Amino acid sequence: MSSLSASQPSPVAEQPSYWRSLNELESRPDFEAMLAREFPEAAAEFPEGVSRRRWLQLMGASLALGGLTGCWEREIISPFVQRPAGRIPGVPQKFATCWELGGVAKPLVVTCYDGRPIKAEGNPEHPASLGATDALSQALVLQMYDPDRAVGVQVRKGETTESSTWDAFAEAIRPVLNAQRTQKGKTLRVLAGTSSSVTLADLRARFEQVFPEAKWVEFDSVNRDEVRAGAAAAFGTPVRTQVDLTAANIILSLDADFTVRHPQAMRLTRQYAGRRSPEEGEMNRMYVVETAHTGTGAMADHRLAIRTADFANLLGLIESAVQNKLEGKKVPPEKDYASKFVDAVAEDLVANQGKSVVMIGPRQPAALHARVHRLNALLKNVGATVAYTEEPGAARPSSPAALKGLVDEMLTGQVEVLFVLGGNPVYSAPADVDLVDGLKKVATTVRLGDYADETSLACQWHLPAAHPFEAWGDALSFDGTVTLAQPLIEPLHGGKSVAEVAALIIEDEVRAGEQLVKRALARYLPPNVAADVAWQSAVHDGFIAQPVLAKVEPTLVAAEPVADPAPTSGLELVFVPGASTYDGRFANNGWLQELPDLVTKLTWDNAAFLSPKTAKSAGLEIGDVVKLKFDGREVTAPVFIVPGQAHDSVILWLGYGRTAGGHVAGYVTSQSKPIETVGFRAESVRTTAAFTSGLGVVLEKTKKTYKLATTQDHHAIDKMGLEILGRRLGMLVREGSLEKYKEHPDFAQHVVHHPELESLWEERSYAEGNRWGMTIDLSKCVGCNACMVACQSENNIPIVGKEQVIRGREMHWIRIDRYFSGEADDARVVTQPVMCHHCENAPCEEVCPVAATVHSHEGLNDMVYNRCIGTRYCANNCPYKVRRFNYFNNNKKYEQASNELATLVLNPEVTVRARGVMEKCTYCTQRISATKIVAKNERRAINDGEIVTACQQACPAGAIEFGDLNLKSSKVAKSAAGPRAYQMLAELNNKPRTSYLARIRNEHPSLAQSKPEGHGAHEHHG
Amino acid sequence: MSTTVDPLLADNTLNDPRRRSPLVLGGLDYAGVTKTVCAVASETTPPPLWFLAFALSVSWAGVFGLCIAYLIFTGVGVWGNNNPVYWAFDITNFVFWVGIGHAGTLISAILFLFRQKWRTSINRAAEAMTIFAVICAAIFPGIHVGRAWLAYWLAPYPNQMAMWPNFRSPLLWDVFAVSTYFTVSALFWFMGMIPDIATLRDQSKSKIRQFVYGVLSLGWTGSSRQWHRYEKAYMILAALSTPLVLSVHTIVSFDFAVSQVPGWHTTIFPPYFVAGAIFSGFAMVVTLLVPTRVICGLENLVTIRHLENMNKIILATGCMVGYAYGIEFFIAWYGGNPYETDTFLNRAFGPYWWAYWTMVSCNVISPQLFWFKKIRTTPWMMLIVCIFVNIGMWFERFVIIVTSLARDALPSAWHYFTPTNIDLLMLIGSFGVFFSLFLLFCRFLPVVAMAEVKSIMVEHHHEDHGHGHGGHAHGGHGGRH
Repeated sequence: MSSLSASQPSPVAEQPSYWRSLNELESRPDFEAMLAREFPEAAAEFPEGVSRRRWLQLMGASLALGGLTGCWEREIISPFVQRPAGRIPGVPQKFATCWELGGVAKPLVVTCYDGRPIKAEGNPEHPASLGATDALSQALVLQMYDPDRAVGVQVRKGETTESSTWDAFAEAIRPVLNAQRTQKGKTLRVLAGTSSSVTLADLRARFEQVFPEAKWVEFDSVNRDEVRAGAAAAFGTPVRTQVDLTAANIILSLDADFTVRHPQAMRLTRQYAGRRSPEEGEMNRMYVVETAHTGTGAMADHRLAIRTADFANLLGLIESAVQNKLEGKKVPPEKDYASKFVDAVAEDLVANQGKSVVMIGPRQPAALHARVHRLNALLKNVGATVAYTEEPGAARPSSPAALKGLVDEMLTGQVEVLFVLGGNPVYSAPADVDLVDGLKKVATTVRLGDYADETSLACQWHLPAAHPFEAWGDALSFDGTVTLAQPLIEPLHGGKSVAEVAALIIEDEVRAGEQLVKRALARYLPPNVAADVAWQSAVHDGFIAQPVLAKVEPTLVAAEPVADPAPTSGLELVFVPGASTYDGRFANNGWLQELPDLVTKLTWDNAAFLSPKTAKSAGLEIGDVVKLKFDGREVTAPVFIVPGQAHDSVILWLGYGRTAGGHVAGYVTSQSKPIETVGFRAESVRTTAAFTSGLGVVLEKTKKTYKLATTQDHHAIDKMGLEILGRRLGMLVREGSLEKYKEHPDFAQHVVHHPELESLWEERSYAEGNRWGMTIDLSKCVGCNACMVACQSENNIPIVGKEQVIRGREMHWIRIDRYFSGEADDARVVTQPVMCHHCENAPCEEVCPVAATVHSHEGLNDMVYNRCIGTRYCANNCPYKVRRFNYFNNNKKYEQASNELATLVLNPEVTVRARGVMEKCTYCTQRISATKIVAKNERRAINDGEIVTACQQACPAGAIEFGDLNLKSSKVAKSAAGPRAYQMLAELNNKPRTSYLARIRNEHPSLAQSKPEGHGAHEHHG
Repeated sequence: MSTTVDPLLADNTLNDPRRRSPLVLGGLDYAGVTKTVCAVASETTPPPLWFLAFALSVSWAGVFGLCIAYLIFTGVGVWGNNNPVYWAFDITNFVFWVGIGHAGTLISAILFLFRQKWRTSINRAAEAMTIFAVICAAIFPGIHVGRAWLAYWLAPYPNQMAMWPNFRSPLLWDVFAVSTYFTVSALFWFMGMIPDIATLRDQSKSKIRQFVYGVLSLGWTGSSRQWHRYEKAYMILAALSTPLVLSVHTIVSFDFAVSQVPGWHTTIFPPYFVAGAIFSGFAMVVTLLVPTRVICGLENLVTIRHLENMNKIILATGCMVGYAYGIEFFIAWYGGNPYETDTFLNRAFGPYWWAYWTMVSCNVISPQLFWFKKIRTTPWMMLIVCIFVNIGMWFERFVIIVTSLARDALPSAWHYFTPTNIDLLMLIGSFGVFFSLFLLFCRFLPVVAMAEVKSIMVEHHHEDHGHGHGGHAHGGHGGRH
């Protein structure tokens, strides 16, 4: 549906009419000065000395008054004479669109209420989404309404920043570009992020025609350069590896983290999870070798933690073991775990030739990628589980090399005009590339970006970038499907897309985003239908079905003899994309900053992550501040200890320590009272040579300590607490091996034995009508956190900030519990999503003195916010501790009448909770009601699968089922009645509606000695 | 006339089986009693110590008020309460103060019914303390709720929402139990005071005092008919109060026992809480009376024997509390509920071990010192022990509430509670309110039930004659009787 496109007013930088009364005021210079001083968006300066809390109050005023400087569009308020077709006030509309991350499209369907996007979901029709999303996509909508986004065009004159307009910019840049035209763009450079956009490729081709000697440089802090280089090394040309896990019995993931960080993660996770329930067919078996913890590693049947530097040796061992098995040689493995692991992997890979897959992650060097390609070929997986397609942008150099080349040119005066389109290279550039100095040597620097960030401060012009939901665009999904983006709202701050700015640079005859995209995509539209219809249907679907990346069958080039790499030793440094921040672009996103990392549960910070053994040998404890010295550079970081991480490896998350990020991320540049940064900047020890990892880091303990905010284990658990945890874990998170399952499919139901549960009175049966219930398959959940952000977005869940997280007052309705089992140095991770269980015999309801939490006739445990006085007794009595209390007014920002922009992100279907009331998961009661109304109007019963909760919808693994337990044919009823289903703490006779499906581990017999029930856990027969 | 001093008069803690030990010393007669008690509440300027104490108390009461205002304007988050520990200092303070409020009614009602004559010297002060403690207690549930301005929804009143409160909730039972207890205690206290207020009225010289005491004494003349009615009513109120003494803390304990939180869900709670309440209440009475009797010159009325008797009760209830602590552990193990077992292990050896062992040493070990008569009868020593008991009983509630919540069923939700400054200020501030009220009471109301003390002196008076202590001057039956 492209209905939005027709009615868009042209962006005119005029004063909004409703500020008429202030017209006199606004022209006075002192008022302008006041605005510039007081309101960040008006002047790209932050008010001095504001805390994050203060910011929440402030941003309202800033947005309302932001209009005075002419950045808000003219608003015409008039009723429709006739209702536009298909538009019913109050009924949400959904639009297919996408955004691009690292040159790969993430397809979405966005829900809009009265013209404002409020919720992103995956595009169920799109092969790269299948309806699922990741946490970043879910948080995108908050990013759009971020009041820290730069408003309007800004120009820096010396130390001051002035507001300007697109017209003024065009005027100013025209002579510069004309001069470049005459010299064929010899000293013109463009620095942009990697993109697979067809439109942008088209514009780049035109750019090269206009400026044949100019260069377009691509830089991404988080990239897949090594992957491309590895394919190039193996096949002579970079091809893209397409993995199909549906046919893979054996998965070997070498640091690949394909469930979260892979560009095809949604599809791969769905395929992987589809083979994780024993009742649905043969289970796959996954081996994971990794340095840092990932969700993929947590799901592994067998996991091995080694340093990134040791992967070459390990791969060598696997290769030779595979070779030996193929040749039928029997070499008994050593006694240690790693050797047995390698032997088991090799045995399984050889036994499942053509039905296995080896994947390797982007942090591993190209040489290893090449070897993995050979290994897959050797195992006959190519053509079965592994296929190859073309790789777009095959010829481009690696990101750090490209940037270094550009900066070298800049420093030697070979660049006169530089456009920085997107990204934030000043922040994310390698430490040995002096981009800031380079920029000083360039006569004209123009920057297009969401925020007036570090890069903008180093450039002369700042142009506001359009958010993905504000502009036309397109990108290729990983499999090569052309995916379209359409604007869902008028650009809030006058932003333009990269393509639109590129069109401006080359003075293209087409300037409007829609026309640019349409022109570029014309050749991909199906030829047998009318162009308009084809276009409309592509926009409606959000993609063009036929993938444009051709399948290829590359041949392996002769392998150069690989010398056995000499084993190295010492402490290594590994750079990992920030759990919340990615490469820093999400640092100002409160939802993501407060989203606890799956394994560490850390929020609002990054840290130097060490294994317990490494920390012990360095004499470090959690919260100690260390100086990290690497390659002549140093950075100060707090220590966080993670059981199960590789020894002698220091993991650093990228994307923190933003000096000009915003009120959430931090802003310390030229401020007398700076806003504290979140975390430290790991990029300051990241060099071109060690862009992904490097050996030889030195940890120097300082006397300082630092408080880190985690949502679990707020305080280190004492020995006795750990013993208690060990005794309980097997009862709470029930696991078993596949053998155990085959023997006793219902083993999970016999973990806790209790006397028959009786009631003093006749309980309500709920036999009539709908009986909503949920199941969560622990065998499938990969802990990607998408459900948490989806819930936050759907249910208007506030963020509370670091101090309150330390106090333990985070508000997430769904959390993912993480437990370690096994020894501290070889820990296994088990995860369990927990939200309100909607107990039929709910302990919370009995104790509420004012009857603010009561049962609906369908068995939902309803929370009546209006009636709640906040005794918190319900939360005390909840055995799952899923209730969340508003200790403060967490939504104060919305109370100001002027705070229009921030309120736009709220879901109008869900109450915004006041201070002093309790809240909790409602099973998305608003979605249940909406569906019930539709079904009732259509005089029919609600179909199975018609109601989808927000967490369920986001889940890429399909781990969550929701529906009517009374409908015996429903998926949820079937899985709740299945043998693996168990109810946590059901011995309390609370009759939870949520069931878990026990996790089944498909272990290799030779490695199965590890206790499946976890450390010290045993079956409890009470 | 004997030249030797009667040992029972020198040390009335001695027990001579042949005769009762005197409960009023210093050879006070009826007029002497009146004079001694009325002197405390007289128009003359009180000692500087009173002003100092009052200034301090009122300042803290002011801090308390400011904290409440800050709390209500900002949110419950100003306290340290967190996600698993939804109740902490707020409910700890509530239960602590309710517990303190048990001694007064027990002394005036139960000891009255059991004809314990020594109660007469201390019952008034103890009852006043009860009222003030319940006032302090009642503040906390009112302000601890998230939306304090809607706390009246706890009351079952006809309303346009057509909503009753939830009668299944122990918190609602609390509302009824505490409010009933407060009403009956206040009534009992006030009614018992009427004859003494009349005495004050008659002794007052200022018009204002005469008027106020006149109104408060409800026209008391001391006629036989009035005394007849009065004593009937007193007996009835005593009978009404007696079950309340037991029921209030039983119902307060239901807040915990009826829930399903491991460590709360135990059937031993009602008797254990009641014993603890009496224990702490008596400790607080001793804590208050030891200095009060000195400052107000009441040594002859509140004698060492009175204090010793109370210390004996403290010893007895302390042993009961200690037994309860022991049996809790036994049942946690014997009951076989793993969650309960773990909770108790956590209490004693987990992150709150310091609170648990503070509680045990203060509540179980320190009252054992009262086996020594020397400690039982030396005011400064008993004061120290009783302060320890007060600390211990506060910690008992803290341990029950916080340690159970901090580590319940799901280890993922475990958290550690750390109080904020506001928590600490409000704890101290509630003492400010309590002491302010008590100091005002000492200044303006009869601290000792004169009429009742005189009623037990009659016999004693005649005995004195029998033993030939004629040397004491008796001013005749000058007291109003």
